Amino acid sequence: MGGKSKSVIRLGMIMLLSFSFILAGCGGSDKTATSGDAKAGNEASGGSGEGKPEPFEITAFIGEAGQQPTPDNKIYKKIKDELGVTFKFEFLAGDLNQKLGVMIAGSDYPDIMTGNTKLTAAGAYIPLEDLIEEHAPNLKKHYEKYWNMMKDPNDGHIYILPNYGAYNGEVSSTWYSGPAFWIQKAVLEEAGYPKVKTLDEYFDLIAKYKEKHPNIDGKPTIGFEILNYDWKNWGLFNPPQHLIGHPNDGSVVVNDGKAEIFADKDYAKRYYQKLNEINAKGLIDKETFTQNFDQYLAKISSGTVLGMFDQHWNFQNAENALITQKKHERTYVGLPLVYDEGTRDYYLDRPALNLNNGFGISVNAKDPVKIIKLWDRLIQEDWQKILSWGIEGEDYIVNEKGRFMKTQEQRDKFTDATWKLANKADTLYSFSPKMQGFFSDGNATDGAAQPEEYQAGLEEYDKKFLKAYGFNSYVDFFSPAPENPIYYPAWSVDLVEGSEAKIVNTKQNDLSTKFLPKAILANPSDFDSVWTEYTNEIHKLNIKAYEDRINEVLQWRIENWSVK
Amino acid sequence: MGNQTITPGPVPAAATYKRSGKSRIEPTLFHTFNTVFMILLVVVTLYPFLNTIVVSFNAGNDTIRGGLYLWPRQFTLQNYKAVFASGTIYDAFLISVARTVLSTVLNIFLTTMLAYTLSRREYVFRKPITLIFVLTMYFNAGLIPGYFLMKDLHLINTFWVYVLPSMISAFNMIVIRTYIGTIPESLVESAKIDGAGEFKIFWRIIFPLCKPVLATIALFVAVGAWNSWFDAFLFTSSRQELSTLQYELMKLLSSSMNANSNPAVANGAGMTQDAAVSMVTPLSIRAAVTIVASVPILLVYPFMQKYFVVGLNVGSVKE
Amino acid sequence: MMEETLTKKPVVRKPKKGKRQPMTWSLIKNQRQLIWMSVPLLAYIILFSYVPIWGWTMAFQDYKPALDFADQKWVGFKHFKFLFLDDNFLRVLRNTLAMSVINLVLGFVTAIVLALLLNEIKKVFWKRTVQTISYLPHFLSWVIVTGIVATTLASDGIVNDVLMKLHLIKEPILWLSEGHYFWGVVGASHVWKEVGWNTIIYLAAMSSIDPALYEAAEIDGASRYKKMFHVTLPGIKPTIVILLIMSIGHILEAGFEVQYLLGNGLVVDWAETIDIFVLKYGIAQGNYSLATAGGIFKTVVSVTMLLIANWIAKRLGEERLL
Repeated sequence: MGGKSKSVIRLGMIMLLSFSFILAGCGGSDKTATSGDAKAGNEASGGSGEGKPEPFEITAFIGEAGQQPTPDNKIYKKIKDELGVTFKFEFLAGDLNQKLGVMIAGSDYPDIMTGNTKLTAAGAYIPLEDLIEEHAPNLKKHYEKYWNMMKDPNDGHIYILPNYGAYNGEVSSTWYSGPAFWIQKAVLEEAGYPKVKTLDEYFDLIAKYKEKHPNIDGKPTIGFEILNYDWKNWGLFNPPQHLIGHPNDGSVVVNDGKAEIFADKDYAKRYYQKLNEINAKGLIDKETFTQNFDQYLAKISSGTVLGMFDQHWNFQNAENALITQKKHERTYVGLPLVYDEGTRDYYLDRPALNLNNGFGISVNAKDPVKIIKLWDRLIQEDWQKILSWGIEGEDYIVNEKGRFMKTQEQRDKFTDATWKLANKADTLYSFSPKMQGFFSDGNATDGAAQPEEYQAGLEEYDKKFLKAYGFNSYVDFFSPAPENPIYYPAWSVDLVEGSEAKIVNTKQNDLSTKFLPKAILANPSDFDSVWTEYTNEIHKLNIKAYEDRINEVLQWRIENWSVK
Repeated sequence: MGNQTITPGPVPAAATYKRSGKSRIEPTLFHTFNTVFMILLVVVTLYPFLNTIVVSFNAGNDTIRGGLYLWPRQFTLQNYKAVFASGTIYDAFLISVARTVLSTVLNIFLTTMLAYTLSRREYVFRKPITLIFVLTMYFNAGLIPGYFLMKDLHLINTFWVYVLPSMISAFNMIVIRTYIGTIPESLVESAKIDGAGEFKIFWRIIFPLCKPVLATIALFVAVGAWNSWFDAFLFTSSRQELSTLQYELMKLLSSSMNANSNPAVANGAGMTQDAAVSMVTPLSIRAAVTIVASVPILLVYPFMQKYFVVGLNVGSVKE
Repeated sequence: MMEETLTKKPVVRKPKKGKRQPMTWSLIKNQRQLIWMSVPLLAYIILFSYVPIWGWTMAFQDYKPALDFADQKWVGFKHFKFLFLDDNFLRVLRNTLAMSVINLVLGFVTAIVLALLLNEIKKVFWKRTVQTISYLPHFLSWVIVTGIVATTLASDGIVNDVLMKLHLIKEPILWLSEGHYFWGVVGASHVWKEVGWNTIIYLAAMSSIDPALYEAAEIDGASRYKKMFHVTLPGIKPTIVILLIMSIGHILEAGFEVQYLLGNGLVVDWAETIDIFVLKYGIAQGNYSLATAGGIFKTVVSVTMLLIANWIAKRLGEERLL
């Protein structure tokens, strides 16, 4: 029994230890509380004059995951030194809906919050239009062309400052991250760099290549992959709208300002019947509907997948893995396929204003004027350069022609997440209003969009490949984007949580998830009956409620968004 | 029962049982089977953890190709560097240790005390109190009312919100009560005759006798407290200095997933070829995060284990 | 002789009947120490678990978090109707029950068998090693475990490899594309992840068995199996019964993570559980009312099942919960 006294001592130690932790914790909390109060007192005493920064802390709720910058982060330090502002970010990990529920119920809002329709609906943001008119001439100028679009369809106030999509000047891009039918470069290379326009041509190329090369690097060649896992469902759902020459409007096609769902239409049937046909020929991966996202990426990065419909950013990591294996011929080109030769492709679109994204000032904000003034300062070119490119001389160089360039070392640093935590203000930059396009000196606002930068980063294989087509970049495979319709895009319509429209939309997605794989894998003679069952089920839903809600908002946009 | 006739052989001394002559074959056969089974079990259950370790030490860009089993193809410490890059994780670790230790100590003491009172058959409130506790296992008032309660009690953004709401678990209480039920009642009765009060009986007699089950419950509570992140997510997320290890790791993981699949960013910002070529991928971060999160709590197990994994046979139990 | 020793229960207290005393002040006074030790804890649990139940009113409202309680719109049984009248409700209920029963049975049987077998290992070091390793998967998240399950069951995964090598199948089976396999896959995944963890509690229970019982059995020359069935198993029976009763109360808790992660369009008719349904149409739509209605439904079923299980245990003269 000698162990007993020992264990008592051990227990005591543990208790002591844990209490000391708690005491330490409490001590810390008291300190911050008082310093916060002190700040509040200070700020009340005076307005903000530039050059004489007063310390001011902004608390921010970021509605997505992110990492705290390091305490001595270079850019945030500069902001603190020159503008007197420090930030306290709260990032989200976990379910946004749950978090918003308790935030709204308790009215526990920080100074600013990233854009969210639920918060808008709950009255958590303050209207910004007067504030901007009065205190923020630069922001006003930045959003001039977009002013009406920023208004909330429900009450006409501006609550959120969009973070992306307010452009100045012509938009040119060298990188396409959106949806397309992707094909391995090797397939095109072997076929002698043909121009591929239609779906039939695409699958013919794949079929031929697969026949000739049943194995790639010792593994069976996979003709076509369709990913439908979790919320990543566009690989299965979205192609029909593009094949008839429409841009990405989510699950509707809009004609003359009128939206209708396309899942049950004949042009949708045509696509899935085609998939059924090529499946019968063994072109579709047998596991395509049971695989998870990791398995999908593994297949792509093994270099055996000839084609898929996807958005570029989604399989970016797999392509990177191919690049590190030096399998450049196994990376992909996006093709804007259509059904018929005569249809003009509309995959590449002009960036639309990113509604409901960005940030708004909460009703609890201590000093909205000071906050709006800060962003009015940050939208000016000098700060935009710092936020995007970094510090001149450290993070980028300016050549004799005045062009911004990066050395390879600087380029590498920009890909290093750890480095960025200490040297970039990515969190702030990503939700803030920003200049997009070009600065007044002609440099691109985004390092990656600087044409010299793009060319410098291009591989030999790609130079040769592009030369064969006579293109400058892979974006040239797409038809130039026409002017956006006023209401575009329909996918950004807020369906209103818990409304019939939203429920119908969820149910329709459930049906597609269940029936489309069945239809594609069915014996070709059974395809029609599965399709009929599918469309019958869809027609049992109150699709009209869904379409009506979209049309209501599109109509509102047409009436209110027109630039006067 | 007992309708099989067993010829009572010469009585073997307990210590020599292993060699007992009754049936030489049976134990050997049994042992062979048992050993093979255990080896299989070890292989099958060790594999997922081992594989996670392998992934955590393999370069993200390579892991994505799949086919990684028992040995890293491209060894790297990059994933761990990414996990430890943010300074917040060290403070969070201390908070996690503090909440785990405190929760465990309070839980063990309070839950056992309650279990003791409810094991006493003569106790007049035994039934109603038991029922009230048992029912708590089967309902959940929901997120928002729970949040309001914490708010009204001024627990939001305090350390105590990790400890106070979960000081007693009905499940654990029942498990302990069942265990106490197997302790001879005579012990309690004789103590009473000696004039010992209820608390003294509980603390001096019952509590020490419950060691094996308390070690188990301590493990349950500690693992639960260590692994929980939801309270940090709901109640303290605006106070960085109160964040726990699990929540920090979760943020790290979600942000790496986010960075790789953010249509909003892809929409407007234009992701660069450069920016996307990063060594770390969600898959490898997840593996590293899992190892970092679980190894500290796994180290607790062997200490608890000695109380309940004892050798079966006579000798070893008695010691 | 042996019969005698073996049937002697290892000091499990049997519920005694008719011992209930009437509640009197003198009794309460007599038991004041017990009261002091338990009633404050009762107050505690009422505060933390029962007070928030006012939130159940949400199930009968169109709850909007932004509004005060007085401003909420009352809608009666609307959300219950949405839940029960949905075309999929019965299917979802069937899936939930099936997977939960499978998990329950498999979980109990495997954990008890493993505990018994572990108990037979004589070398303490080896025993501890097996124990420690077998509980490792408990610490992996479902995302990781299902990831490994998916790879294992892939057409080029190890399961198909082995079956092909044994010539049991000619072509790889796509395990995750067949609804009939889904429940089994989920059950097996649960066993894999939790069996080691679940044995811990039984091992603890075994340590309370009086060694004298084994000695006596040995003197009687009882075989290994006899001891297992007549000493060890009865020794942990109270624990088994109590855990079983509590688990039966959780009959509608089949979870959602595994099903969500392993499910796909081809098996959705077998994979969707009540929890997934409620998540999809409740929380994910910002409809807290539906989520609450789902919770109330589950509680009603749980408590009913619990009471039935407890009553059966009582009738059988077994250890019981209440």
